[in-house]
Amino acid sequence: MVAATASILMEVSGLSIAFGGLKAVQNFSLRMPKGCLYGLIGPNGAGKTTVFNLLTGVYQAQTGEMLLDGRRLNGLKPHQIAAAGLSRTFQNIRLFGELSVIDNVKLACHLRGRHTLPGTLLRSPYYVGQERAMAARARELLAIFNLDDREDEQAKNLPYGDQRRLEIVRAMATEPKILLLDEPAAGMNPQEKKVLADSIERIRRDFGLTILLIEHDMGLVMDICEQITVLDYGVTIAVGPPHEIQNNPKVIEAYLGAPMDPKELHRIS
Amino acid sequence: MKPSLGASALQAVWPLAASILIGLIMFKLIGPWSGGFASKVMLVAGINIVLAVSLTIVNGFTGQFSMGHAGFMAVGGYAAAMIVYYGSMRLWGSADFAGGVLSNAGDQVSFTGPFIGKGDWLFIVACLVGGVFAAIAGYIVGLPSLRLRGDYLAIVTLGFGEIVRVLLQGTPDQIQPWKAATAKDVPLYKLPLMLGGPKGFNLLPIYTTLFWVYLAVGLTLILVYRLKASSSGRAFLSIREDEVAAQAMGVDITRYKVRAFVLSSFIAGVAGALYGLDIGAISATELGFQKSFDIIIMVVLGGMGSISGATLAAIILTILPELLRDPPPVWPAGAFVLLVMVIVQAVRKRWNIKSLVVMAIVTAVLEAARQYCVSKGINIAEYRLVIYALMLILMMILRPEGLFGVNEIWDYLGLRSKKLAKRVRRSQKGAAA
Repeated sequence: MVAATASILMEVSGLSIAFGGLKAVQNFSLRMPKGCLYGLIGPNGAGKTTVFNLLTGVYQAQTGEMLLDGRRLNGLKPHQIAAAGLSRTFQNIRLFGELSVIDNVKLACHLRGRHTLPGTLLRSPYYVGQERAMAARARELLAIFNLDDREDEQAKNLPYGDQRRLEIVRAMATEPKILLLDEPAAGMNPQEKKVLADSIERIRRDFGLTILLIEHDMGLVMDICEQITVLDYGVTIAVGPPHEIQNNPKVIEAYLGAPMDPKELHRIS
Repeated sequence: MKPSLGASALQAVWPLAASILIGLIMFKLIGPWSGGFASKVMLVAGINIVLAVSLTIVNGFTGQFSMGHAGFMAVGGYAAAMIVYYGSMRLWGSADFAGGVLSNAGDQVSFTGPFIGKGDWLFIVACLVGGVFAAIAGYIVGLPSLRLRGDYLAIVTLGFGEIVRVLLQGTPDQIQPWKAATAKDVPLYKLPLMLGGPKGFNLLPIYTTLFWVYLAVGLTLILVYRLKASSSGRAFLSIREDEVAAQAMGVDITRYKVRAFVLSSFIAGVAGALYGLDIGAISATELGFQKSFDIIIMVVLGGMGSISGATLAAIILTILPELLRDPPPVWPAGAFVLLVMVIVQAVRKRWNIKSLVVMAIVTAVLEAARQYCVSKGINIAEYRLVIYALMLILMMILRPEGLFGVNEIWDYLGLRSKKLAKRVRRSQKGAAA
């Protein structure tokens, strides 16, 4: 459990967006202490990925405010938000398929470097040193997820589970403060899920990362998350630690449907 | 582990040195040896290589579809022609050739001039300024590409090319060479616009030789390859692969798209300068969208994003129509390719009998067709454009990703996997120690 005194790293309040008449996310709020592992769950179409897209600047919020370490993120472009320290993976894998595994990671290292055209074309000592450092760092990160022996393969040729892991590695290479994982366990078998859960725990500990996780797999979320927010139809229906969420009637209703009124039952039959 | 000063100075300088060497070899050895017509074809091939590789930056690396490359070429070509032509008039009162040995396209033996003449310096400056003008145009065209994608960008660039063409065709008449003395009386702000209009800009001094073209080819190939292999190059490629993911990983896609346009059009501008000062005339009419498509075909055929592919495609597409005028026997070339394939497969110890058989059959069929035409007295030259088009169609059906896809030729020759194997061995050794 994260101590109550831990400083708040990310604070989101009153975030809303509507697409035409569809209120995709309404009045979404989030307080993430530094170093916590936060879960965001909800049935299909609840607006979880939309929240990620709002946080990372893919969509612009219509109301509300996002603060990362006291810095306002509203109105920033996606690459500026990445530079501010928010990095993400994608639900539908979005690797650079034609590039090699290591190039995918090196590309993400790009963000923290300085790149000048003359330096690149003339291979200045600074540029050469930076490229070497990037390669070394990329290998280091790949090794954490046991991907280092496949670094020269094209990303699109990796097996599905490896592609998901590579997405996490790539997101980490931008040196984020907060990592947003969009269904990292989707399509994995129980064994792979367990390994993934361990890896997530490990990177959080070793890199001091704060993680926001969207996941459908309840077991995984309940196991590793310290705090959970539940969305349904864009509305936050519950916030709390896993054991509270598990027993929250609203959450059960959202996932399983409301228990039927006996009178209704009578009328149907 | 920083590289030493000497090593990095060498890294910075060797592309230029190597390119000068390539230029000299082409100009002094291969050009004279292969004769007038062949060296002319080589010169055009060289310019096409530069154009195709420069378009690869935009269409291949960043995956934007530009159809206005000839427009950038025209901007660079006209700017350079204007500088050389009116520059010569203002500086030494005549538009005649004033270059040295390296720029002398004519008879080598009877030429008496310095190694590098005053005109050469003007020519170099003109090429670079032509590139800068084209780069500025590229910046202006690159800006709307922030918002446009795919077909829409293609239309905008197509429109740009046509605007350049129409504007250049609307310029006033040029000052003819025999009136060079009057150039001094024309106010300086009017002079740069007197570009000949619809008649084209003619009677320019000719400076472009195999040396300058292959100097540009060498520099373009090495520097664009360095770009592709760099972190900026990866940023370009990531935009092509997935814009959303690229942004999420911190790539400022706007900036990199504009960068790609600027770089690509700079090189195209230099190529335009070489083109204009090669035949001594530049005409906007010839630099319309037809020319843009010629370059696009080279890039697509070579493989989107492959530098060596674009180079090879530029060479093939320049030489092929000329070869078809009077087709030489096909079998020596076929046998040579077969031999290379056998050697490569033997070295890699990975035999692909099917590819060898296909190659042999293709060679045999082509040779038989040629023999048949010769025996029946059919003039292949008349059908050459049909054959050329058919080959393009066949190529797109059989290998839609182009010759090499995004890879380079050495990826197919097994050089890369050797390097990898070496590294794996080294790391294993490190682990054992």
